[in-house]
Parts: sequence; structure tokens; C-alpha cells
Amino acid sequence: MKTAAPKITTTRLKAGMTGWLFISIAVIMIAAFYFYPMIQALILSFKTGTGSNLSFNGIDNYKRLFTDKMFITAVKNTFIYLIFQVPLMVILALFISVLLNDKNLKFKGFFRTAIFLPCITSLVAYSVVFKYLFSSDGLVNSLLLNLHVIGTPIQWITDPFWAKVTIIIAITWRWTGYNMIFYLSGLQNIDNSIYEAARIDGASPIRQFFSITVPLLKPIILFTSITSTIGTLQLFDEIMNITKGGPGNATSSISQYIYNLSFKYSSDFGYAATVSYSIVIMIIILSIIQFKVAGEKK
Amino acid sequence: MKKMTFLLLIASLILLSACSSNSEKVATTTDSGKKEITVWAWDPNFNIAALKLAKDRYVAKHPDVTVNIVEYAQNDIVQKMNAGLNSGSTKGLPNVVLIEDYRAQNFLQAYPDSFHDMSSTIKASDFADYKIGPTSYNGKQYGVPFDSGVMGLYVRTDYLEQAGYKVADLTNIDWDKFIEIGKAVKQKTGKEMLTQDPNDLGLIRGMIQAAGSWYLKEDGKTPNLAGNPALKEALLTYKSLFDANIVKMNADWSQFLAAFNSGAVASVPTGNWITPSIKAEASQSGKWAVVPFPKLKNIPESVNASSLGGSSWYVLNSDGQDTAADFLKETFGTDPELYQDMLSKIGIVGSLNAASSGKAYDVEDPYFGGDKVYKKFAEWTKQVPKVNYGLHTYAIEDIMTVEIQNYLNGKDVDAVLKDAQGQAEAQLK
Repeated sequence: MKTAAPKITTTRLKAGMTGWLFISIAVIMIAAFYFYPMIQALILSFKTGTGSNLSFNGIDNYKRLFTDKMFITAVKNTFIYLIFQVPLMVILALFISVLLNDKNLKFKGFFRTAIFLPCITSLVAYSVVFKYLFSSDGLVNSLLLNLHVIGTPIQWITDPFWAKVTIIIAITWRWTGYNMIFYLSGLQNIDNSIYEAARIDGASPIRQFFSITVPLLKPIILFTSITSTIGTLQLFDEIMNITKGGPGNATSSISQYIYNLSFKYSSDFGYAATVSYSIVIMIIILSIIQFKVAGEKK
Repeated sequence: MKKMTFLLLIASLILLSACSSNSEKVATTTDSGKKEITVWAWDPNFNIAALKLAKDRYVAKHPDVTVNIVEYAQNDIVQKMNAGLNSGSTKGLPNVVLIEDYRAQNFLQAYPDSFHDMSSTIKASDFADYKIGPTSYNGKQYGVPFDSGVMGLYVRTDYLEQAGYKVADLTNIDWDKFIEIGKAVKQKTGKEMLTQDPNDLGLIRGMIQAAGSWYLKEDGKTPNLAGNPALKEALLTYKSLFDANIVKMNADWSQFLAAFNSGAVASVPTGNWITPSIKAEASQSGKWAVVPFPKLKNIPESVNASSLGGSSWYVLNSDGQDTAADFLKETFGTDPELYQDMLSKIGIVGSLNAASSGKAYDVEDPYFGGDKVYKKFAEWTKQVPKVNYGLHTYAIEDIMTVEIQNYLNGKDVDAVLKDAQGQAEAQLK
């Protein structure tokens, strides 16, 4: 007995070592390229100055956030996108995925591909296309004019209200297909016998949708709404390429403000890092709320 | 096995510390004798075209030197330079870079020691006076002034004639007269007088520099918005343009170009760097003329000359800096012949005083009705008032864009300036 115990420990240790050896490269890489920059950015967020002339200034940067009008406008805009775009997209994706899951539908593959295609196009390319579609003499305006929906061209990009609408349309177009794929795979995992039983009990398709489909897809709905929330909080490309945050600051987003602070203004990297960490904090809070609302225990 | 763990630990530590090491600062003075230099610039029709001419002339005299010209968008250059200089390593950065004058002080002050002192290589007094402020810091001359950015008012003579005006009627005018003519043009031809992007306040920048004023005070740091008579007058003028209904809106650069290339607007008040883009539309040859930039009516200091978005060359402190400095010295720094070449081939007016006359300036350009437009630009370059752009031009401009939207929607002009001042003071500590 006395000799057996250390033997086990050595074997265990050996096994443990081999395990560590296997993951060591990944661990080192993750530490070097994820954790190290994250910690550096956190340290940076307590510094102030331009370019490489940085000095510590305590929590001044964090205090500044609350009085910074441009930051507040950017947060407001981002939340407007969030409030309208995330539910819109989730519902639309759910609706489309249920339609496309219909067994009797023909050319299913074609429709699925068509709706998924937007999210594999280049962000910049689609933004530029949207900018031209929605310019004052662009395709959308001429179409609406010809259909007599509107009398004068809508200033999609230069009007504060319509510019926000344009951004919401653009991101919805791009990301709905992405979420749809998750719902489709979720739907295919729901056993068809549940629906059969429901039909036998006389449940209408709408009742089936709300009483079977939605509850069973709840984890996926939660997942897509959290990823969409994170994506929206990090919104950058569309704003940068379609409106540049304008007119005024009407469409600016938090990420775009970080870019401006770093590169457009006077290279205030310390404060830019502070704004980045404010996004981290917001994402954590919103995710917790969403978990709570969805009633997930984990 | 213990050894193995130990080695792994050491290896990971080395890897991590290598990442955090900041000691890779490049030696600042020695030239390793490398005879290859890289230059970054934007705008293929203007800066890159000028660089190619300079390169050909330089390489002909120095066959041992290779000059690589790389074209990037201006924003990309700003990003790459910031990222590179911040990392403390000049690897991947060019030897010579073009920087817009509005941003120059930002680079010079944020990254001291990163730029090569050109004080002994070129003579600052050889260049237009207003270019020296942005390109020097702490009494040292860092930049080689290049694009003068001198502004002019490009006008469509055919539209003006339809409205009953001649080019002389627009020469040396103030903005009130411009608006009056604009209304007549709109009435007679249905064309707008000019095009504006609500996110780009270039026109206001041009107006206030013409009056010898800027968003910041002389120190380049204190916001000078509330109680700045030139800025107030510029805002009043800007709103009158919109109220007169003579502005066609555009949302970006390509729509800006399209506005005049398609013949939708009757004038373009902007920097002379637009000449190649105006001339790009061959069908409009002979229909354009250039007159001095209008001045502000109620500001006595205001002149009919201004500058917009000029830029200058800078050498980075890194291997090959001596070759790079020599390249700039022999080309843009001293060579009037090169400037003649640039003018006759591309239409570029630089800011080297010695190059402001010569045969090329006497050439009559048929595109502009046979006018000697380059001679005009060269003369205006001498009249541009000197202002200090300081550190925060674009930060203030973002504050101003929002407030100007409010102003156009009916907010009082003094309140607009006061609020902008408050915001700028809070933000630019």
C-alpha cells in the first residue's frame, strides 16, 4: 500500500504534464494575444495624453465619460439601434426560418442561400452599396418616387432621423440570415411528433408556433439576442462607411467614437481605451439582464 | 519532467516579455547606408503624380537610390502612423510621409523624436509663410512644405452668363455678393450654386482662415469659438447659403465630385488640389474659370485668399533618414524646375517661393478659357493669412458639426458658439 500511493501520483502527474504540454502552446498564445492586450488596455484606460506621451491620471477618464456629450450621444444612438434592430431582426429571422422549414416548400436551398448570402459579403462592400442605394438620387428614392409613395426624395443619409433608419435597415439586411441559420438548425432538432400530437389535439399553426416552437427555441433565441446585442454594441463598419456618424453626431456609434478619439482627433489612446472598457461593462450588464429575463439558471 | 515544466515556464515568460518589451526604439542618428527609401502619400492625381516626377528627377542624379512610392488613403496613413509610432518601432513605416497640415502638430507633439529635424536641410524662409506654423515645432523645422492648399472659387462661366453675370462680377467679392449671384443663377438656370457635405466644414475653415482666425487661439490648445467674430460671421454666412436655397447636399467625396462633373452646380469654392478633378470632365473644357476665394463681409481683416487641407512631407527618424532627407531637399525642398514640371504636367501649385514664377505659370489653360490660372494661384498663396491650426482641428470640427446642425435648425448663433466652446473646453483638456 505504501508503495502504491506515490506511483499513482507519479502517473497522474505524468498524465497531467502531458495534458499541459498539449495545451501549453494554445495557453501561451491566448495569454499573449488575448489576456496581455486586455490587461494593457485596462492599464491604458487610466492614462491620459496624446500619442506616446502618456501619464497616469487615476479614474479621471472614467469620470469624463459621464460628462462627455459626444460619448453620451454615441451611447444613445447605439441603444436606439439596439432597441429597434435586435427585436426586429430576431423576429424576422424566426419568421423566415419557420417559413423555410416548411416541408412542402420548393427551392428551399435557393431561398436559404439567398437569405444567408448577405452575411458573407464584405462589410465595406455592402456598406458602400447601401450608401449608393440610399443616396438622395439613389435607387431606393427613385423607386419610391416612381411608385408615388413619396413626393420628394427622402434624405436617407443627410437627415438625422432617416440616417438612423438607413443604418437599421442595413444591419438588419446583413445579419438576419445569420440568425436564421441558428433557428433553422434549432427547428430541425424539434421532433416532428410533437407537432403531430399538437395537430391531433387541434392546435392551430399559430398556437403551435407560440406554444411549441418558441419555447423549444428559447436557448437559441437567447443566444442570438446576446450575440446580436454584442454585435450592435460594437457596430462600426456600417456607420463608418455609410454615414461617417453624421449628420452631426446623429448616427455615431461607440466604436466609431473610439476610432475618432484614436485616429481622427489628437490620438487620445488612454481615453479611447476607457470608452472600449465602457462597452465591455455594458455588454456584461446586458447579457446578465438577458439571462435573467430568459430565466436561464446557468 | 520537472525540467520540461520549468523550460515551458521560462519559454512562456520570454514570449510574454518579448511582447511587452518597449526597448525596440530604433537608433535615431545613424544611417546604415541603406539606399532604398519608401514614401507614403494619398491622391493618385495629385500627390502621387508629383512624387513620380520628383522620383524620376532624383533617381536620374542618384542611380544608387531606389524610391518606392506607396499610395494609401489619408485615413489609412494616419492609422498606420499612429499604430507604428505608438509601438515604438519604425519597422513597417515609410521613410517619408505626407501629413495634412491640420494634423501635423498632433504628430509632432504626440511623437517627439520620431521625426527628423530638417532645419539644417531646408530653409524655412524659402516657403510660404503660413505653411511654417504647422510644419515646425519647438523652433525646429520638421516638414518640407508642399501642397499649398490655396483656395480658389471655380465657377461655371456658361451658367453665369445665362444668369447675366461675367467672371469679373465674381472677382474679389464677398460672400453676400456670392449669395446674391447664386440666387440669380438658381432662378435662371435651376442649378445650385455650390455643393456641401453637412459633415465637412471645410468651407467654414476656409472662411475663418481668410480672416486670419482659427478654432483655437494662438497657443494651438485653447478653444476660440465663443466670442470669435470671424467664426460667427462664417456661421451666419453658412446659414445664409442654406437659407438662399442654393446648396446641393452631398454625402461624400464621390458625390461631391459628381456634383460638379455632372454640371449640377455652378461653382466650387475649394483648395487648388481639386483642379485635376475638375479637368477630369473633358466635356466641360472652356466652361470653367477661377476667381479669388470670397471674403467675409463684416470682418475687416478678411482677404480674398485662404488655404484648405494643404499638406507637407516629413522624414521619419529611422534607417535611411539621411537619404530620405536628401531626397526631399533636392526635390520638393529646392528644385524650382520640378515645380515647373509639376505645374505644366499635373497643375500643382506648391508652396516654394522660388517656384512661384517661371514659364509654366504663364501658360494659358484652355480648360479655364485660356486664363493663366496657375499664376493666380501662386499669387494668392502669398496672401494666405498665417494661423495656428494647433492640435484639435478635427475634434472641434466634430463638436461644431453637431452645433451647426442645431444652428441650421433654428438655434441662436451665440448660443451655438457658447455651447460649442463649453464642450470643447470640457473635452480638450
